[in-house]
Amino acid sequence: MTDAVAPAIPTRAVPVSPGRTPWKHEAIGFAIALLVLALLPLFIGDTYSRHVLIMVFIYAVVASNWDLSLGYGGVFNFGHLALFGIGVYAYSLLTKLVGLDPWLALFAGGVIATVAAVLVTIPILRLKGIYIILVTFGFAQLVMQIVISQSAITGGTQGLVRVPGLYWFDHNMIRDGKFAYFYIALGLLVASTIFLRVFVRSRLGAGVVALRDNEEYAISRGMSLVRQRMITLAASAFFTGMAGAFYAAYQRNASVDVFGMSLATIILSMVLLGGASTIYGAIIASFVLTVFGEAMADFGAWRPMITALLIIVVMLVYPSGLVGMIRAGWGAIAVRMKRTA
Amino acid sequence: MSSAFADIAFGGLFQGSLYAMMAVGLALVWTTIGVFNFSHGVLMMLGAYVAWQLIEIGLPAWAAFPLAIVAMGGVGWLLQASVVRPLIGRPNIVLVVVITTLAAGSLIENGALTVWGPRSKQLPSLIAGNTTIGGVGVSLHQIAIIVITPVILGALWLFLNRTRLGLAMRAVAQNEDASHLVGLNVTALYGLAFGIAASLAGLAGIFIGGYRFMSPVMGSDPLLKALIVVVFGGISSVSGPIFAAYLIGFFEAACNYYFGLYWTPTLLFAVLILILMVRPEGIFASRSRGLA
Amino acid sequence: MSNPILSIEGVTAGYGRVTVLRDITLEAGRFGNVGLFGPNGHGKTTLLRVVSGLLKPQSGRVVFDGVDIAGESARSIVARGLIHVPQGNRLFPDLSIGDCMALGAFSPHARPHEEENREKVVKLFPKLAERWRQKVRTLSGGERQMVSIGTALMSHPRLLILDEPTLGLAPKIKDELCASVLEISRGGVPLIVVEQDIEFLLELSQQLYLIDHGAVSTEIKPGEKSLGHEEIMSMYFGH
Repeated sequence: MTDAVAPAIPTRAVPVSPGRTPWKHEAIGFAIALLVLALLPLFIGDTYSRHVLIMVFIYAVVASNWDLSLGYGGVFNFGHLALFGIGVYAYSLLTKLVGLDPWLALFAGGVIATVAAVLVTIPILRLKGIYIILVTFGFAQLVMQIVISQSAITGGTQGLVRVPGLYWFDHNMIRDGKFAYFYIALGLLVASTIFLRVFVRSRLGAGVVALRDNEEYAISRGMSLVRQRMITLAASAFFTGMAGAFYAAYQRNASVDVFGMSLATIILSMVLLGGASTIYGAIIASFVLTVFGEAMADFGAWRPMITALLIIVVMLVYPSGLVGMIRAGWGAIAVRMKRTA
Repeated sequence: MSSAFADIAFGGLFQGSLYAMMAVGLALVWTTIGVFNFSHGVLMMLGAYVAWQLIEIGLPAWAAFPLAIVAMGGVGWLLQASVVRPLIGRPNIVLVVVITTLAAGSLIENGALTVWGPRSKQLPSLIAGNTTIGGVGVSLHQIAIIVITPVILGALWLFLNRTRLGLAMRAVAQNEDASHLVGLNVTALYGLAFGIAASLAGLAGIFIGGYRFMSPVMGSDPLLKALIVVVFGGISSVSGPIFAAYLIGFFEAACNYYFGLYWTPTLLFAVLILILMVRPEGIFASRSRGLA
Repeated sequence: MSNPILSIEGVTAGYGRVTVLRDITLEAGRFGNVGLFGPNGHGKTTLLRVVSGLLKPQSGRVVFDGVDIAGESARSIVARGLIHVPQGNRLFPDLSIGDCMALGAFSPHARPHEEENREKVVKLFPKLAERWRQKVRTLSGGERQMVSIGTALMSHPRLLILDEPTLGLAPKIKDELCASVLEISRGGVPLIVVEQDIEFLLELSQQLYLIDHGAVSTEIKPGEKSLGHEEIMSMYFGH
């Protein structure tokens, strides 16, 4: 039982080795999904549905980047949401106090989150499993405490309001039925997903997985644990920080809620429900969980309870998450089709 | 000067006792089962609300409090059986249990919100009234917490070290296979560990509910504090976090006195992260996991 | 001779999709102590895990004292008096010797015999009595093995299974341990021993099984073949 803290998350059902699905197939699937998403605003006219989709995209970016460090890297980074929060506050403070151009601030959110991720990596370089959870959790709390205590600048628990939004030439971002924000969010998700997939399919990504699965062996083959961990965490931070910055621009405020347990729980469930180390799984799970949550709006207080119950049931029955469930279902259908044929 | 000393001493003892009570259950579950129970804070909330409900239906506090603590033991057992036990043996159990216990916590939290509503409530103090010690005004409730906590922790120590059942729990914490082979009912012992932990959480909740307003979300801050204490004290034993709890209590009290409330949390976290960089296994940790 | 105390009938078992034991059949107790040997990774330890209930077999029967115990919990198998000393003497590093002995007598069937068993253990391993309050992690390898076997004796065994008791021990300590184990056997507890040290195995057991690729490849009953070191070594490496 002393070995219970295995740093690896083996997922047998999922191809994690790079290059198993041919590039071409993946690119075609990706293009079709992108086309469908890009055409959605033509069919979905109401602002509220578009808002839900924008939130889906933001969550999907955060969850899929978390999957990079958690699933692929096997680094139990529980400070991931702090990176998102850093993006939120970096954008808000830079635009509001420094007066930086919102688009530059959006980019800066990603850069600052990346720098923060590198800083967190330092204390956890030599740590394993549960200790990483605890230290990164401590880091998240530290960030939140700093934000709360420096209320003269950050607004403390009150947060910041009237954060400048993004702009697009003379386009009215506020009265376009969230049309522009929808495409910016989608663009962010697309860029992030391409980045993640290229990363995990590259040699570098293969090294990260190798280190996760067999640390001693990978190190003996000349890989640097320190370098790989730092690269993994930094890579997972950039788009997370940008998503945070975008979130602040879109909501036009910043609040310490982003550091809270409830948001972390939701996003973590997306990663795990999606099935760790799949990237696409986390994105699909973000969609399913968010839309599911909205669909149950009528249930009021019962909604979070039903969601929680659903998460527990899926985790108990399908340890590899929704992807495992889809695979199992697909397998059953395939068997039936073979029988009838 | 004497007032500074009294302030820090009393504040440290009080906060330390509270932190010890919040953290000990978390440490007990980690050392025996090897998982972190992220619903531990919610269990504190539930313990306080169950006690409140029992008083509401007319029970006197001296009966309601113990009854609530016992009931929480049952809740802990159920929780273990439903969201932890089925996962034992999975390779990524640590991570999956984090999510299942978080989800279970959310379930209980929102359940409490539905049943009892968001309006804040308060429990009666353990002992009503106030007094002055060394020029510092304190409530008898705080004194009661300072006295009861070491008694409960001492009883837990005796249970673990002086009874055969406690011995069995320490054994399970060290080697699961070998525990099976000497005929221990490992599942029941896991359930027992979780049950005791939940009871201790319930007691912590009653402590909190007696001097602060209760709400269904009151558990998240104590959970954080408990996690910090456990990390700080080392996650390999039960006694490490208890020492750490008091140490943090005194540190906070001293910081509050000299630097003010404003800086205390930041200082605490900074020191915590520094210590973890130097001694990642915590300051009071031994090399292996085990109950003692 | 007598009926076998344990018979394993067509057991298939493994971990996940990996099958380790393939339809293995063997008996113990008819001709005295049983020795199991064979190359590493061919199922000896897995077989013992099935017998003691740590691993559920996929199929087959494990009959102990006339009752099929396949699939029973480890706890109820311990209560029947079938005691397994696992490999690697890593038992409970932070418990004292006294704690381990108390734990050995945890099972209700062993509790009434606690006093007499403790005396037996102390007589067999006087060294343990000297360090009664010392933690297991501070003991030497040989002493830790004594604690493991002592703990098993506290469980009041009717059949004792030892998995590589001499692993990593110095020759002198091996001899001492061998004498103690023979003493246990003479006291009326039949043994099943897995061992790499052939001399040790030959001294302890009357009946041998060579386990290879998850099945019995050779069985040697007393009187059937001469049990020479040479032949056994050739069985290991001969084919």
